Amino acid sequence: MNFANFAHGDFLALGAYLTFVFSAILGVHFIPASAIAVVITAFIAVCCDYAIWKPMREKSAGSLTLIIISIGLALFLRNLIIFLWGPDIKRYDLPVKRGIELGSVVITQNQIFVIMVAVICMFLVHYLLKRTTIGKAMRALSDNIDLAKASGIDVDRVIRYTWAIGMALAAVGGILYGLITNINPNMGWFMLLPMFAAVILGGIGSPYGAMVGGVVIGLAQELSTAILPTEYKQAVAFFILIVVLFIRPRGILGS
Amino acid sequence: MIEIGIEIEYLPYIITVLLIASIYAIFSLGLNLEWGFTGLVNFGHVAFLAIGAYTTVLLNLSGVPLILSVIAGVALAGLCGGLLGIPTLKLREDYLAIVTIGFAEIIRFFLLNEEWLTRGPMGVHVSSRPFEELIPGDYNFFLFPFVLGVLVICYLLLEKLVKSPWGRVLKSIREDEDVPASLGKNVFSYKIQALVLGSMIAGFAGSLLAFYLQYINPRNFMPIETFYAWIAVVLGGSGNNRGTILGAFILWAFFSGTRFAQGYLPFSPTQMGALRILFIGLLLILIMMFKPEGLLGKKEELTLTK
Repeated sequence: MNFANFAHGDFLALGAYLTFVFSAILGVHFIPASAIAVVITAFIAVCCDYAIWKPMREKSAGSLTLIIISIGLALFLRNLIIFLWGPDIKRYDLPVKRGIELGSVVITQNQIFVIMVAVICMFLVHYLLKRTTIGKAMRALSDNIDLAKASGIDVDRVIRYTWAIGMALAAVGGILYGLITNINPNMGWFMLLPMFAAVILGGIGSPYGAMVGGVVIGLAQELSTAILPTEYKQAVAFFILIVVLFIRPRGILGS
Repeated sequence: MIEIGIEIEYLPYIITVLLIASIYAIFSLGLNLEWGFTGLVNFGHVAFLAIGAYTTVLLNLSGVPLILSVIAGVALAGLCGGLLGIPTLKLREDYLAIVTIGFAEIIRFFLLNEEWLTRGPMGVHVSSRPFEELIPGDYNFFLFPFVLGVLVICYLLLEKLVKSPWGRVLKSIREDEDVPASLGKNVFSYKIQALVLGSMIAGFAGSLLAFYLQYINPRNFMPIETFYAWIAVVLGGSGNNRGTILGAFILWAFFSGTRFAQGYLPFSPTQMGALRILFIGLLLILIMMFKPEGLLGKKEELTLTK
């Protein structure tokens, strides 16, 4: 699609809230609740494609129009969350488990779980892009959409898959984030800038760049709290973004 | 007699709504210059409103004459706009959107946390307002015609500008920037100029907003303010100054309408607030999908397909 999707963060929050609804309110076990939430988020993303993005593709709308629509969608989703579940901080209501001590550092089981899931997701994305037909079609599409069309790739189908997988990953991100901190309607908004900074630092269109970028931005934000007030975490991501735009706008792994 | 009584009771309220709408119309005219005429996506317009408001109030508090404080606020807003343009406007067109949205949040965090300067969440009181000592009675009855005059002057100047050769270059950048570039125009420089001027207008709207509010705090400058301007521009018609003003007035009519409707709906104030913004998001999607030229824009002039 090749445009900055400002609703990405709000799909992330949606995934976390759906998990909250299924686990804390309806009493489903956390893992199946998360799975249901991821599937529903992906389903909503595909619905959005049918309702919004596909008609806009057919009108060959420019990326600026798409950006503005995506911010409209972001405002819609975020305020739907506030309308349905309120503006306050929520937690999944999971039993507290004992942390594991490694020397002077205590790691909670949740944190280990988060790291494991994140690593598994990265391998899955890698496998998907390199080994599966749909992944190869996605790469072909991002390389040259006309050439992909000419070689018989069903563009609409590939884009639907891309939305479903992309937003499912966003939902996983939101669920995991909620696991180590809390969930609130603005969580997606506050992660938007770091996410864009990570993608641009890594190089737009490069999934491995995004992984590296994500780790770099995340580490920089957390380490900055040693010298700066935590409120300025966003400013750290912003600063890195500006420096990247000046020095290497293609990003580390961008072509 | 009873009817007249009601009218007098409602008059201050109506004046206040018109006053706020006029301030937001000025604020939105700045965005219209950037997005409507030049095709720049600024998602952090509120930052310049905040810079204008805070600079005016803080300088005036420390003894700088009011008129100089306002000028400083406008200048600082313009400077920040230009600085944000430098790393972004030569690159992909969505970079400006990302950088401005981040900038607006950082300005808000700065206002919240640098208490030595801004008194943080406590906010600051406005020490003096233009001609305040000369105005008997309700100050808003003076401020509204004053702001309306500013709005008219802004409108006339902008109309003159966008119809000048300079304005025509901006429109050609919006439609296809390769064309003015091939004619030897420095597209980057024109974009920066549009961004600086748009930010200065927002800064001036910030000073006026401070005069109206009398007390400003970071909560006045939430990210949603930017999208009030967006809906005014897009609803009225991107690239149409009259449309933008119309859009701003429709928006505030809608806000005051929903305030009255609140008594009849079974929702909490928080839910009503969420519904209002939810509706704005939906409207933004629908206009961009089905009527991108807005109410007053010209369809044949505005392609926006690049």
